[in-house]
Amino acid sequence: MKLGCFDLMKEKNILRILHETLHAEHGSALEMLAACKATSRDNLVYGYFEHAKDEYIHTKTFKKILATRIENTHVEIARNYRFTPIGIIKKGYVDNNGFLIETLKLKDFVAYVYTNELLAKKSFERILKLIKDNKRDFDSILDIMKDELRHHGMAREYFLKYYPNLQPYHLFLYKLRETIKNKTRRIYYKNIEFLEIIFKPLYSLLALLGGYLLLKFNHYHFYRENINLMDISSKSLL
Amino acid sequence: MYIGISAYNHESAIAIVNKNGELLDYCKEESLSRIKGDQSFPKRALKRLIQIHNIDSSIIEKVIFYEKPLSSFLIPLKIASKSLPGSLDFLVHQLRNFKNSSINCFLDLNKFMPGLENKLIYIDHHLSHTLTALLYSKSQENICSIVVDGFGDRSTSTISFINNINNIRELWAAEYPYSLGLFYSTITDFLGFAINEGEYKVMGLSAYGNENSPHARLVKNLIKWNDITKNIDTEMEYFSYHKSVSNSYSEKLTNLLGEPRNPFVPLMPDDKYFQKYADIAKGAQDSVNMILKKIFEHAYNLTNSNKYLFSGGVALNSACLNSLAELSFVDELIVPPSPGDSGAAIGSAFYGYITSNKKPRKILKPSLFPSVFNCNEQLEQVKKIISEKFELISDCHHSALQITSKLIKNGEIIGTIISNSETGPRALGNRSLLCDGLNKQAVDTLNTVIKNRSPFRPTAPAMTIATAKKYYQIKSELKTCYLSMNATCKCIDNNISLDFPVTHIDGTARIQIVEDESILDQLLCILKPMGIEILANSSLNISGDPTCFDLIDSLMVCSLTPLKYLLTDFGLLKKK
Ligand SMILES: [Fe+2]
Ligand SMILES: [Fe+2]
Ligand SMILES: [Fe+2]
Repeated sequence: MKLGCFDLMKEKNILRILHETLHAEHGSALEMLAACKATSRDNLVYGYFEHAKDEYIHTKTFKKILATRIENTHVEIARNYRFTPIGIIKKGYVDNNGFLIETLKLKDFVAYVYTNELLAKKSFERILKLIKDNKRDFDSILDIMKDELRHHGMAREYFLKYYPNLQPYHLFLYKLRETIKNKTRRIYYKNIEFLEIIFKPLYSLLALLGGYLLLKFNHYHFYRENINLMDISSKSLL
Repeated sequence: MYIGISAYNHESAIAIVNKNGELLDYCKEESLSRIKGDQSFPKRALKRLIQIHNIDSSIIEKVIFYEKPLSSFLIPLKIASKSLPGSLDFLVHQLRNFKNSSINCFLDLNKFMPGLENKLIYIDHHLSHTLTALLYSKSQENICSIVVDGFGDRSTSTISFINNINNIRELWAAEYPYSLGLFYSTITDFLGFAINEGEYKVMGLSAYGNENSPHARLVKNLIKWNDITKNIDTEMEYFSYHKSVSNSYSEKLTNLLGEPRNPFVPLMPDDKYFQKYADIAKGAQDSVNMILKKIFEHAYNLTNSNKYLFSGGVALNSACLNSLAELSFVDELIVPPSPGDSGAAIGSAFYGYITSNKKPRKILKPSLFPSVFNCNEQLEQVKKIISEKFELISDCHHSALQITSKLIKNGEIIGTIISNSETGPRALGNRSLLCDGLNKQAVDTLNTVIKNRSPFRPTAPAMTIATAKKYYQIKSELKTCYLSMNATCKCIDNNISLDFPVTHIDGTARIQIVEDESILDQLLCILKPMGIEILANSSLNISGDPTCFDLIDSLMVCSLTPLKYLLTDFGLLKKK
């Protein structure tokens, strides 16, 4: 099937969103698994285990949706949408400093899960609009949304049970905070894109200068022929 | 205590060697983060090891990083500079990614384990590989070490000679960008598999290829051994890994070999293009075999040695070892259980131990299962998961093994999560999926239904040495390699093993000879009277995920796949 220019752009946009969501879902699976391992109360361990399992299944579903959509695309386009586990860190879905459970207080972590599940459901609604032409994919995403809503409900229940002093409006505040954070994150990335336009020529100039300088740089001291490797200074970075 | 670190380029890992020269523990970051190929600073591994062994920072003498970070940063930049302005994007990317480069090890140590950065030292990368390999050798003197990887901190292949543990002289090197490892990775990429992960698939696929086909020949012309300069010659215009961020090969390679494979289209043996891709894989595999032979011959000319250590990422290519062992001058060939970069953390830690004392020091051979764990660590935690989803069929080790054997006999597949975990990428029984190696249906189910692997990838067999000798051409030169499933071997001519489901299409198998008293040895002992002497053995994981490390990981695999049984430290579990 040949796509027109506009259709191709639209299709690429769908592929990009699916690709991102796939990484995000795998990221959630890992976050929940980490939470499961970091918890001692066996009820909670069970809850996080089931949650992680759902997220793994979501990942698998998105992999399938992406793969069938991309199968007939030109190979040079398809190559850009491969899933790599380390992409989860590179794209920021798992923080380089550690999983949320490792870096947040338990209360904040639960609040995060509570709000994020709701936000996830919202972003799935947007995806649904984009892929409404495909009944099978549409239905699988509907199923995922039901899961996310259930996760949201579980987190809410837990939150109110273990932190009884908190009122439902606290949850609202948490949600507001996360929404603002998400929005600012988006603004931040938009800004970065903008800054990129300004800074790219500067970086390029630096790289160009550095590159030509490096060409002059003799790397004879990298040669080790006939040298006892055990004698090389262990303090040296070279 | 000496802590070895490998990070930033391939799977990161931590190794700890104690003051008696004993590998105390070893842990890959991916085992804990569950991110396959995790190359970030191994913060979780470091934290876990320090915690479970109760290590006070005052007794940590040195922290040894597995490469010279500035060299590893500057050399690719310098080589890319030669292709300016075409390589500008590559240079910009490298400069901007400075904070993810290994130069930052100092800062990361300071961030995650403040104080340790003051004890940080650096070791030559190929020396870290050499030392890792040396630990698995009986003698530590007069032995030749060959390291072949993608790129370390300056060279891509080296030959050195170990006079003794304090005198290891480098005799030859191939310089970046001429790299056998990166050549193979590029072909892996061209064939639509992920670099650093799909190389096994290329190796499995190559068995279907025809060495005289036009595609195989074209690939074999891309990299050669130059008999005059005694070095590797790569036709660099077909490759871009040294000057592009997004492409490992150039348009010229596409013009030469035709369209690359779409990674999203499953590759099946009766597909239209299957043969073409298999031929390309065959060309790459033959090139690796040929160039490695040349490197070994050159090493022999330089050293006259009959004993060889072989490590670096390319040593993971188990299909090349058999032909190397056939070289007339090779009497012994040792490949460590984790010859790639993650394993180099072990050699690095030992470097600290060796150099901290002037006189040569005693070294204890590391176990094949160095990553400390016991399921009982998590038993209390998973009480509810087990009671809701599993049934404990037996809680006594002896009877669990008896029942497991009966289940295997009946064609069932068993997952194992027992005690410490393996060093390398191959499961040797403690984190395995096992079934009767001669039961075709069970092997197929293990491979495709549970593991979701491509049907052209073989499953490895595990057996005792006595059994192996009945079916396979065992080479005495490779005896340590068989223990860690590092080498393939050929079936005996006209032997029934040619039809075993664990034998690959080309009549080879990547066999594991089981260690005495290991869990597989115990199982085979019970299975023998039942008529089973070969187990199919694959790692316990879902395709794309790291091998399971702890009990929770294995329960997750059971929950997500049709796997029903799990043999653990506390008994045999059956999924409800
Ligand atoms: Fe999800
Ligand atoms: Fe969720
Ligand atoms: Fe290496």
